[in-house]
Amino acid sequence: MSDNLEHSFVTQLQENQNIIHKICRLYTNGDDAHKDLFQEITIQLWKAFPKFRGDSKFSTWAYRVALNTAITLYRKTKRSINTIEFEGRQHFLNDVEYDYEEEEQLKLMYKAVYQLNDIEKALIFMYLEDKDYQEISETLGISEVNARVKMNRIKGKLKKILNPLGV
Amino acid sequence: MKELDLLKKDWQKSDNSFEQVSKIEIYKMIHKKSSSIVKWILIISILEVLLWTCVSAYYDSDEYLKKIKHVELIAYFKVLNYFNYAVILIFIYLFYKNYIRISTTASTKQLMQDILKTRKTVQYYVWYNLAMLVFGLIIGFIIAFAYNPEMDALKNQINGNSKVMAITIAILSIFSIALFGLLWLFYRVLYGILLRRLYANYKELKKIDL
Repeated sequence: MSDNLEHSFVTQLQENQNIIHKICRLYTNGDDAHKDLFQEITIQLWKAFPKFRGDSKFSTWAYRVALNTAITLYRKTKRSINTIEFEGRQHFLNDVEYDYEEEEQLKLMYKAVYQLNDIEKALIFMYLEDKDYQEISETLGISEVNARVKMNRIKGKLKKILNPLGV
Repeated sequence: MKELDLLKKDWQKSDNSFEQVSKIEIYKMIHKKSSSIVKWILIISILEVLLWTCVSAYYDSDEYLKKIKHVELIAYFKVLNYFNYAVILIFIYLFYKNYIRISTTASTKQLMQDILKTRKTVQYYVWYNLAMLVFGLIIGFIIAFAYNPEMDALKNQINGNSKVMAITIAILSIFSIALFGLLWLFYRVLYGILLRRLYANYKELKKIDL
């Protein structure tokens, strides 16, 4: 029985691991930190797995647990995320063809997102994952209205970071 | 917001850019906690042996035996010492084996069994060390009373007076119990914490097993 449970966990996690990778990408800088957070999230998911009854999709459940782990871990260590090496992130952009201006814009955008706080990152993450406000509110445990308000504030904040003079 | 849409598009394309973690690696991750505890047990046991070796370097039992003119006992002490080191090395080897086994196990059932086994090994190790202490104390007292000429005065007094005998026994007992307690406490703190954590892991695994 237990081996079955373990097998089912490992299989599903393996299939859905990009969720965790993407969270790690937002919350960490550098390969080591990425791996550490990935492992921590995996352990937390495994701990919580017995309570996962399958009434939601594995991925929906994983979003919640993984984001909670990233947020609480982030709070505990109080890392500063302000200095990020963008050169190291370029490989995310490589396989896509777009003009130079777009590439520059993307870089600035990633830079701006990294300056958000942990909760804001969680919201932006859900937004980037193309989740609707209902799912965002369920995953983060806030009301739908609150999620909308927060999201608007984040957009404002990003604009300000991109264009501090308001030109 | 135009930039945000751009980001979203790029974000969703990034799925293939992550180095994929294999199933085996995930198995290892969820067993990692136990294996790191067992690794600490191994490290601490080695440090402990080094500590005792350093302590014994300061105290030369050969000198003592020469002083009381019973050089023939040195050989016995050597044998005892080698025996002790051999046993401890066996324990360290067992800890090492436990560590390797736990860090490579890919099944919960096996892991639970390994955790219980490791706990047993540590318990035997602690009991062996405590038994060795008691044995050493008894040998020490016997040698002191039977062979050490400095003890003759005390021996004469004990023979003549039962009160002195009672006091001597009481002092020796208190001394022994205190030493035993101290060492027991030392192990309790050193390995107790690790064993409790290991057991907590075991209980967690058991919950999953139900």
